[in-house]
Amino acid sequence: MLSRVAESVFWMSRYMERTNGVLRILRTNYVSSQNEVKDFSWQTLLRSYSDAPQKQLLSLANESRKALHHLLLDRENDSSVINNITRARENARAVQDHTTKEVWQCLNDYYHLIRQPAIEQQILHGDPLTAMDRLISDGMLYHGIVDVTMAREEPFYYVNIGKYIERAILSVDMLQIKLTEIGYNLKEMEDVPALRYLLYSLSGYEFYLKKHRGNFQAELVLKQILFDAVFPHSVAFCLKRLLRYFDQLTPASLPESFKQLEFLIGKANNTVNYTTLDITNNEQLRNYLFQVRSELIDITTGLNKYYFANS
Amino acid sequence: MRSLCNIEHVMNENRLLSDYHIQDRVWDEMFSDSGIRPSYQKIVEAIQNLSAEEMNHKDELAKKLFMSQGITFTVYSSGEGIEKIFPFDVIPRILEAAEWKHIEEGIQQRLKALNIFLKDVYHQQFIIKDGIIPAKLIYSCPNFLRQMVGVEVPFDIYTHISGIDLIRDFDGTYYVLEDNLRTPSGVSYMLENRSITYRIFPDLLPKNKVRAVNEYPDLLLKNLMGLANRQKSNPVVVLLTPGIYNAAYFEHTTLAKLMGIELVEGSDLVVENQKVYMKTTTGLKQVDVIYRRVDDDFIDPLVFRPDSVLGVPGIYGAYRTGNVTIVNAMGNGVADDKAVYSYVPDMIRYYLNEEPILKNVPTYQLADAGNRKMVFENMHNMVIKKTNESGGYGMLIGNSATDEQMNAFKIAVEADPRSFIAQPIINLSSAPCYINGVLQPRRVDLRPYALYGPDGIDIVPGGLTRVALKEGSLVVNSSQGGGSKDTWVLQ
Repeated sequence: MLSRVAESVFWMSRYMERTNGVLRILRTNYVSSQNEVKDFSWQTLLRSYSDAPQKQLLSLANESRKALHHLLLDRENDSSVINNITRARENARAVQDHTTKEVWQCLNDYYHLIRQPAIEQQILHGDPLTAMDRLISDGMLYHGIVDVTMAREEPFYYVNIGKYIERAILSVDMLQIKLTEIGYNLKEMEDVPALRYLLYSLSGYEFYLKKHRGNFQAELVLKQILFDAVFPHSVAFCLKRLLRYFDQLTPASLPESFKQLEFLIGKANNTVNYTTLDITNNEQLRNYLFQVRSELIDITTGLNKYYFANS
Repeated sequence: MRSLCNIEHVMNENRLLSDYHIQDRVWDEMFSDSGIRPSYQKIVEAIQNLSAEEMNHKDELAKKLFMSQGITFTVYSSGEGIEKIFPFDVIPRILEAAEWKHIEEGIQQRLKALNIFLKDVYHQQFIIKDGIIPAKLIYSCPNFLRQMVGVEVPFDIYTHISGIDLIRDFDGTYYVLEDNLRTPSGVSYMLENRSITYRIFPDLLPKNKVRAVNEYPDLLLKNLMGLANRQKSNPVVVLLTPGIYNAAYFEHTTLAKLMGIELVEGSDLVVENQKVYMKTTTGLKQVDVIYRRVDDDFIDPLVFRPDSVLGVPGIYGAYRTGNVTIVNAMGNGVADDKAVYSYVPDMIRYYLNEEPILKNVPTYQLADAGNRKMVFENMHNMVIKKTNESGGYGMLIGNSATDEQMNAFKIAVEADPRSFIAQPIINLSSAPCYINGVLQPRRVDLRPYALYGPDGIDIVPGGLTRVALKEGSLVVNSSQGGGSKDTWVLQ
């Protein structure tokens, strides 16, 4: 497989996963902005998903619709959802002969969907939830189509490697965003609304309730997001899947490249699974999340170096 | 315009046809003086009872299908890209079996001669020595590649893929307007137009016994595999594209997909020891045959344009040594130069000892002072073209040009007469198009695609019919407001 194609498939998948993740967190944030009595701020989210100057971000922080528009539809914002979808589509366009016609058409339709004036109209003047729900549900089509139409060979494995690495990074990022909002202050805090919203964003609230029967504790939430073996957005789950799909690449890898990357994935896996974490210790928690994120980034750097380098 | 009495009853019965006016001295593909041509009977029957709503629905469906398949090009205005589709007209253009046979034989004959010409002009140059074509014309052609002199190409085939543009004069005679022997595009539209037609007109294709076009990718792949130089059962064939921003990218990806070959960009390839490799996740893999959609000038920055980033440094050396086959061959531009075009009938006589089956449009070399004088005196009836431009650019159509435009062309011609030719204006034939709820005649041309491989020349029955969608326009190029139609060849 061409290195460029492998890289494009990987990035197509990452951008689609990122789109889904960001849409969900924006949705939850919007809902919470409508629910909360105290002044709601988009500040942390804007800082994470916008490259606009600080002054502009400040002017958007308390304006839900404007903030949403900036994060969703502003072409000037490099990290906006519309730019992510455009990039996913561009990558898909360049690898049409390695995915399937259905995957390309679905991404193409998705791109045309977010450009519809009706979406912008709803964000700015109508019900933003309708627009976001439509985008989330149409985005799900992509995952189904990939699963149903793509053969289980190299491109499919790169799609999944991209998906799980991005998902793991997103889970850590979202955790960091929420913890920053509450100043990493989990000591003596049992029920933190921000963490409930975080679970919503990661589609993990119902699972949490079933598992813990109304016993809402920050520590349990963190454990679910970081270590739970069956929660599809936990970092541990993503790393396990990542390793599984990476293993499938064995026959299509140079032995040396494979060894290097296997080491990096194994290392991140160990950090996640075999570290004793005291969540009440602010500093330790902060450093731990930073370390996990760095090791996830090391995996992507390794992929660049050993698999996509030729491109 | 004329209203034909004996076909009026047909038109009056039918809302769709009620505004169909055939122009004087224009061959209409659907109507003859005695009514609807037999080849169009069935399609007229199928659409005549459809309501405007149903026809509009079909038109809309076609647009939607093009859009959702990404068969679009992007127009950039004020920073925001607007996705547009290439206009498609839902009414097919229909050719009868006998007409097609004539076209097929004519193109095969022409390509044989052009191919021998390319071999000759880059080797012994008998055609120049025997005084058939002036040496000056060849050596002054910007697309004559001196680097190709003496280079052997597999099976002596240069024109592997060609698109021959045909037009019809008022009496129905086919003329060759130009030969496209470098990287002709549009074949994916031939394939897509067909797949859209059976969505909008179910059952009509089998009822009309329309010959299939979908064997094109298989034929092309068979030819490409046959050109590999290495003794290998499964040679590596790739399609080289300039990348996703190229207007024909959709075509590149469609063809690569249909042939199951790798679609590569210049940066995916590297040359080592005069061999071409592609960069894969498991290291370098040697490439045997490259179907390139990158022009000669851009293919190797070491030999041609040094600023090109679309090509592969060193690829020309690999090609010369025979380690890789490039398709179409390099240097074909000398054979489809608009000034060399006028000698094609002579080539056919010289190399094949046959009379040309398809006519050439009379062409005047403006390097000749006498021709120049005559053309300047009759500019209103002439088309003046630059010899090395295409896409409807660098062209003046005398009957619709202003005095100012004509003067500008006169000055340009005087400055560099070799770069211009003139032809009398040929009234392209018209075909019915569904525009604004009724059928209206619009001018069309036809580009069949020919594949020249080790086993001979195959022409897929059909091609791309291009339409000048503006009323009265003779320019069919997509860059100038043209669209396309499905082209049916009946059994």
